[in-house]
Amino acid sequence: MPDRAMPDWSDVPKWLLPRPTLEDREFWEGAGRGELRIQHCSSCGRYQHYARLLCSHCGKQTLAWVTASGEGTVYSFTVIRQNGVPPFDERVPFVVATVDLDEDGARLIAAMPALDPGEARIGMRVRAAFRRAGDEFGFVDFVAAG
Amino acid sequence: MQQRVCIVGVGLSDGPVTPELNGVMLEAQAFRRALDDAGLEKDDVSGLASAGYGGMHEVALAEYLGLTPRWLESSSVGGSSFEFHAMHAYRAIQNGDVDTVAIVYGNNQLSASGRTLGTGGGGGGGRGGMALPLPMAYEFPTGLTLVGAYAMAAQRHMYEYGTKPEQLASIAVQTREHAGRNPRAMYRDPITVDDVMSSKLVADPLHKLDCCVISDGGCCVIVTTEERARDLPHRPVYVRGAAGGTTHHSIAAMTDMTRTAAAVSGPRAFAEAGITPTDVDVFAMYDSFTYTVLVVLEDLGFAAKGEGGAFVTDNGGNLRLGGALPTNTDGGGLSGTHPGMRGLFLLCEATRQLRGDAGDSQVAGAEIAVAHGSGGWLSTQGTVVLGTEGA
Repeated sequence: MPDRAMPDWSDVPKWLLPRPTLEDREFWEGAGRGELRIQHCSSCGRYQHYARLLCSHCGKQTLAWVTASGEGTVYSFTVIRQNGVPPFDERVPFVVATVDLDEDGARLIAAMPALDPGEARIGMRVRAAFRRAGDEFGFVDFVAAG
Repeated sequence: MQQRVCIVGVGLSDGPVTPELNGVMLEAQAFRRALDDAGLEKDDVSGLASAGYGGMHEVALAEYLGLTPRWLESSSVGGSSFEFHAMHAYRAIQNGDVDTVAIVYGNNQLSASGRTLGTGGGGGGGRGGMALPLPMAYEFPTGLTLVGAYAMAAQRHMYEYGTKPEQLASIAVQTREHAGRNPRAMYRDPITVDDVMSSKLVADPLHKLDCCVISDGGCCVIVTTEERARDLPHRPVYVRGAAGGTTHHSIAAMTDMTRTAAAVSGPRAFAEAGITPTDVDVFAMYDSFTYTVLVVLEDLGFAAKGEGGAFVTDNGGNLRLGGALPTNTDGGGLSGTHPGMRGLFLLCEATRQLRGDAGDSQVAGAEIAVAHGSGGWLSTQGTVVLGTEGA
């Protein structure tokens, strides 16, 4: 099993809490209830993260929120071994990955706190895991799939 | 008829460690030295460009320097801002909108902030209270650092093309060799590939010695018409072509992490200058990280895509003096000077080389130089081709 014991990332300092905007409240609230919310464009059929007024692929204003499968593939990753900002300074080393969601066109950066850094691979299948960020919101992490 | 455009003066402030000077003092010192170098006085300057301090900095700087310029430029696109400034000054002078432009930058980033800036430290712990611009609101809670963003791009290049960490390390080694000849460089003792590989991993696959230094320092470059340049003391250095572009802001939006906007800006600038990559005698490249150099070497066509690693190490090291493309002959940002943003220092070193003023680091007979800036997280790329009069 590539995952290690899930470290305790539950403590979210106040300054790190999401500050939702008109555009992205849906994303943060969705993550708070365990859903990965992204936008789908009915004109070009592609998806996007993060939320915008227009589709970044085709430019049309034909976007609707959908719940993503939460499954994806690691496009690239790094192991953060030095981060001077609390609480990350005490969490190193940990994996941060660029994940291409199965929904075409949607990509996001996510932490993979539970993944043993030695097990991280480009191309590995991953799925979303959600972590509380205050009472209303959540963060989207990823874990190894399967 | 369009004017031909020349760099006629360059100035470097004291450096690389200047706790007694703040950022604007460094800018003023470099400005004065560039004026002296050009044989000009401040009232000869009719245009001013600067970046790095937020809105209206170039206006405040004009007041500080006692200038009342009629042309102002503050494109702020990260470390490559100054290649954009040079490009815009070139166009404006070509078209007669302005006569003589000073591009100025200085920062005491080392003395003010410490050494761990690229990994989130040094700024005083967290970003309390500060609203995060999109899309950083999504990235910052993951613990990703600036170094980590470049590291992910490097990792992808290794995956797609088999690039080796030792090849990245070789860039740092060759750059350090150049630094050894520059008394102003921050680190001058020779290093080996093993030294780089055994330095602390900051964000896999980038080690500490794959990362640029953080220093203090200021720089000024003065650009003017060929007509005026003829009356000035130095052999003029001609701006021959320039182009820029962007592919993304946040690293997540870099669709292909192995290809930057330099793949567009380079060919455009080279075409305008009427050159090909093999014509380039000396290369001043923004080496924020070793990977930045490698990917841009490919994007500009010095090496085929995926073959940057081999290009770097072939021929005993192609970036060294005597190699196919001597690169960052002043020690670069990896070993020399990197006060927050380095783009302007590239134009300075390229100019010194084309004048034949580079001392022990001189590339014999250099006639064509390229200064290439990379800003943000490989986000913005600016290419400026410079040449001697006969080139």
